[in-house]
Amino acid sequence: MTEVLLLGRRAVREVIRYPEATIPTLFIPLFFLAVNIGQVSETFPDTTPFLNGQGYAAFQLPVSLMFAVATATTGLALVTEIDNGYFDKLLVAPIKRTSIIIGRLGADLVRGIAASFVVVLAGLAFGVHIEAGIIGAIVLILLAAAFGVAYAGFGILVALKTRNVQATNTSFLLFFPLLFLTPNFVPFDRLTPVMETLARLNPVSYVIVGLRSLIIDGWVAKDLLIAIAVIAAMSVVLIGLSLRAIKTYDRN
Amino acid sequence: MEASSREIRATGLSRTFKGGIDAVRGIDLSVNEGEVFGFLGPNGAGKSTTVRMLCTLLPPTSGEATVAGATIVSEAADVRRRIGVALQEIGLDPVQTGRELLELQCGLYGITGAEGRKRTDELLELVGLTEAADRRTKTYSGGMKRRLDLASALVHRPSVLFLDEPTTGLDPASRLTVWEEVRAINAGGTTVFLTTQYLEEADELCNRLAIIDAGTIVAGGTPEKLKGEIGNDVVSVALDGADAAETERAIGALPGLERVVAEGERLHLYVEDGASSIAEIVRKLDAAKTQVGAISVARPSLDDVFLEATGRRLEGARPEESAEQEEAA
Repeated sequence: MTEVLLLGRRAVREVIRYPEATIPTLFIPLFFLAVNIGQVSETFPDTTPFLNGQGYAAFQLPVSLMFAVATATTGLALVTEIDNGYFDKLLVAPIKRTSIIIGRLGADLVRGIAASFVVVLAGLAFGVHIEAGIIGAIVLILLAAAFGVAYAGFGILVALKTRNVQATNTSFLLFFPLLFLTPNFVPFDRLTPVMETLARLNPVSYVIVGLRSLIIDGWVAKDLLIAIAVIAAMSVVLIGLSLRAIKTYDRN
Repeated sequence: MEASSREIRATGLSRTFKGGIDAVRGIDLSVNEGEVFGFLGPNGAGKSTTVRMLCTLLPPTSGEATVAGATIVSEAADVRRRIGVALQEIGLDPVQTGRELLELQCGLYGITGAEGRKRTDELLELVGLTEAADRRTKTYSGGMKRRLDLASALVHRPSVLFLDEPTTGLDPASRLTVWEEVRAINAGGTTVFLTTQYLEEADELCNRLAIIDAGTIVAGGTPEKLKGEIGNDVVSVALDGADAAETERAIGALPGLERVVAEGERLHLYVEDGASSIAEIVRKLDAAKTQVGAISVARPSLDDVFLEATGRRLEGARPEESAEQEEAA
């Protein structure tokens, strides 16, 4: 356990000392938030039924949250470490290999909370009102950060499997279709049949719906539980695979 | 537990990589407690792969080894607790300061709190980095990085220290500093397994060594024994266009001649007594009217040992350089 805390502290220190790695990841979600609101808020005024009396910013906020937390930062930090040899130093230490990953994911949680907090503040500045209240806002931030941790498992997996900086960096591109084949602009029932089918097959859709329910509708148990279940399932699969990848790294 | 007098023992250790590349082909090794053992060979000879296997970073394809009394495959965790490792790629985290890096390293070996801070101070002192301790490692020079990496391999006072090409890429002054540190560490009782492609380094630091080429050990023993085996002196004849075989015939049977090795534009004669042989060689060449260039005599170097074992020079080590080193010594 000590080693997880030590490695986690180191990873957090890395986040703090490399603001240039975190700040650009916030630029995109804030940019999308501002641009999307600017472009379609006239089309969807607060009288639009699915907005429940709020502005379009409330509908867009979860999408920005997802963009803020789903980054390749951890995968990139890991692959850089593989490249410069520090990773070998950690592998040869008498610690559980999995603690190297768990320590990094701890830092992802911290970064995810900080990034989500900034995006939620931006949302409030755009007039968003979080229907589920302050506790709802905290749950919103924590769920977004948890999604970021699960997603980081993917970057770590790519880093361990490819050991290639470029491949790990471009793995982030995979997130674009996952984020856009969702009810990101309008609800499921406003999508074309083909897009609706694709969106309903995409697990990320349910995370967006769950986060959005806290902002627009308040506490909707079903939406929230499905979102939690999707995040948990993603964590089990992606983090599970990355833990297995580090256990078997150079072992065959 | 293995007998403690053998800190490293490997039998038939092999590693084949994907695509069928045989990096290490069934090597046997035996390293005694308290010695500095050198593993000398050119780039790509299999030195690093061997170190990675002995350090438990890479499983062998076949064969077995024990390090510090534990077997590398089934008791890998025990091996890791007892060894220190500084690999060829300097393993440093550029975001941390030297002190933070050493304190973290102490923590990973269970040395925490005041004890960890004390050990960190000791090690910073040992490698002369006390003043630079609170700077991030990315600002360090190559030599400083290498020394910090060395210190980080020592936090837990390992009984065996693996150093994979510890001076490659360093300037001569930094190289000497690392040598001094290796000697000091060894004097403290740590067994050192050191790989190098520098003959001089192997000669200076190692009690015993093995020469590896293309994944196979081609010679082994103390540097003196290895050099002694190929003769007392080596007379080098620059051919300057003369035919090697013809020159060799002209010299013919020389008293005390042990062997002749032709290498490019030079002929190396391994003899018992270089000084008296030169006169005889000059006389014979003159009689045969064979024109050659300069003739020099030197003590055999490890490079000559390598040439004898593999039929070629160790990359980057020119014969003139090694001859000069021998003369200077």
